[in-house]
Amino acid sequence: MSSIWILPAEAISPAARQAAEDFLIAEAALLDDRRYEEWLALLADDLEYIVPARSIRRNGNGSDVDWESRHFDDNKTSMTLRVRRLGTDVAWSEDPPSFTRRVLGNFRYAAGPGDTELTVKSNLLLFRSRGLTGDHDLIAGERTDVLRLVEGRLQIAKRHVVLDQAMLGTKNLGVFL
Amino acid sequence: MTHVAINVEERLRATVRPETGEIPLFTYADPDVYRLELERIFGRVWLFVAHESELEEEGAFVVRQMGEQSVIVARGDDSEIRVFLNACRHRGMKLTCEDRGVASYWRCPYHGFTFANHGNFMGTPFERVAYPPDGLDRDRLRLVEARCDSYQGLIFATWDREGPSLQEYLGDMRWYLDIFAGRAEMELLGEAQRWVVPAAWRLPSENFASDAYHTATAHSFLARLGLVRGTDFGRAGYHVDAGGGHGLGMGVHDDDPGSYFPAELEDEYRSRLSDDQLALLHRIKNFHGNVFPNLSFLIPNFIPVDGRLVTGLMLRIWQPMGPDRLQAWSWFMVERSAPDWWKERGRRMYVQTFSSSGMFDQDDTEVWEAQTAVAVAARSRSDEVMLDYTMGLDAEPLRDFPGPGRVYDGKFSEAAGRSYYRTWLDLLLGEEERR
Repeated sequence: MSSIWILPAEAISPAARQAAEDFLIAEAALLDDRRYEEWLALLADDLEYIVPARSIRRNGNGSDVDWESRHFDDNKTSMTLRVRRLGTDVAWSEDPPSFTRRVLGNFRYAAGPGDTELTVKSNLLLFRSRGLTGDHDLIAGERTDVLRLVEGRLQIAKRHVVLDQAMLGTKNLGVFL
Repeated sequence: MTHVAINVEERLRATVRPETGEIPLFTYADPDVYRLELERIFGRVWLFVAHESELEEEGAFVVRQMGEQSVIVARGDDSEIRVFLNACRHRGMKLTCEDRGVASYWRCPYHGFTFANHGNFMGTPFERVAYPPDGLDRDRLRLVEARCDSYQGLIFATWDREGPSLQEYLGDMRWYLDIFAGRAEMELLGEAQRWVVPAAWRLPSENFASDAYHTATAHSFLARLGLVRGTDFGRAGYHVDAGGGHGLGMGVHDDDPGSYFPAELEDEYRSRLSDDQLALLHRIKNFHGNVFPNLSFLIPNFIPVDGRLVTGLMLRIWQPMGPDRLQAWSWFMVERSAPDWWKERGRRMYVQTFSSSGMFDQDDTEVWEAQTAVAVAARSRSDEVMLDYTMGLDAEPLRDFPGPGRVYDGKFSEAAGRSYYRTWLDLLLGEEERR
């Protein structure tokens, strides 16, 4: 007879879950603090960073996530370029910078796909304010991250973010998701 | 000059002087001007609504906007493409609320009035009981239909039944659209990326038509990071006032061995372009323009992506959403028969440079938002703030350029902007020549 107190064989160990959650929360803090160089160091060299577009479809009329149309379609090289751009004195869209606050939650875990990898789904709420209008943008989405253990440290090997708007309510995606 | 107690048409007539390069700031985001724009521009001229590659199947439809009005662009069961007001003829309910689909008819969710995908009214539930004895008049209840035509795969529509044909409307711009959209069979890959920018729709439109000069400052990161040789990467080339408010700029190179475009497509280009158009294509390093009023297109400056020189074609509409807000709808367009490396790297390049997250686009939205905010504030001033559109005012157009329109050597000019405002003003004041 099974008990809810006994973990099923495929369950991720509490220690691994805690390490992944701590890692993602620390990563979000780096972004909120605009410590982009340190953030880049968390990205695997074979990073895949994709944010698909959404569309309005009736139930049963195909997926409302369009992986062919993308808001981000990036790898480590292009992310490095984006960060280098932010480091110039002519990156007008984020200079002065947005104030951001990322809130993560609803973590869900699955083993793999690689031997040293863990797939983490989480919900992202990204608060963004800029200027003196008193307004803010709220960017919501679901992340699917593949975290990889390399020499005792976690790296982000893949990030897919499905945003919850077909018409984005933020004037640009000048902030990382 | 005071503008208290004069109406907006008088104010426009008194203050907008395109030929001398003087445009008053208030026009950027004025609610009265915007109302005129919806009625006299978006209610009358040819507007881009879709690309033929989106509507290949019979019954395929997409939902788009003409001005603020929702329209259905559909390929009927008879293969013809039509554009309908997305409004039931009974109570005006939207017939469809999704972005796209395939349907042989639309059934209104309110009372069930049903319309075929070629626009005819087909019936409604319990029709002979509700409308005895014979039901409703089929012809009277046909969907409201716009005039529709296409050029090089680009589908346009207009509410004006009497005005110029699409060919006449595009005029000299056709020669350049051939190069952009007609050099090969093109397709849009995926849905549009869409986002709201708190800026007036006209600002990005005129930017794409006429403004290569801003690249030296607004987009100077490109040179800062060593991706182009200098901040004046946007200067070498041609500035084109194509007439009718249409404008473009073409950046050219004289590199050996020539064309930056994929050799795999050369035969197709050659089969569809004239010798002059093909020769120009071989020199293109960037290409931007705007079909009046709000269809922008772009071949971003070629840059190396993962070790290969590529670009990613963009098609963009600036959908009005009020005097100070717009929706950007942006597509990646590519040659259908292109090799995979061109499609994949091209899409990546497009997304990374011009898109919601694009490194160029971000800086542009920043500017357009702030201009709009300043313009809103300018409305309360008793004097006019006049803006300067004089760049290239004394320049003479080239005499030996093979393409049509008024073509200037070097892209630093605002001639196409002045032309944009002449067309815009004439339409708003009802003074345009009916061709």
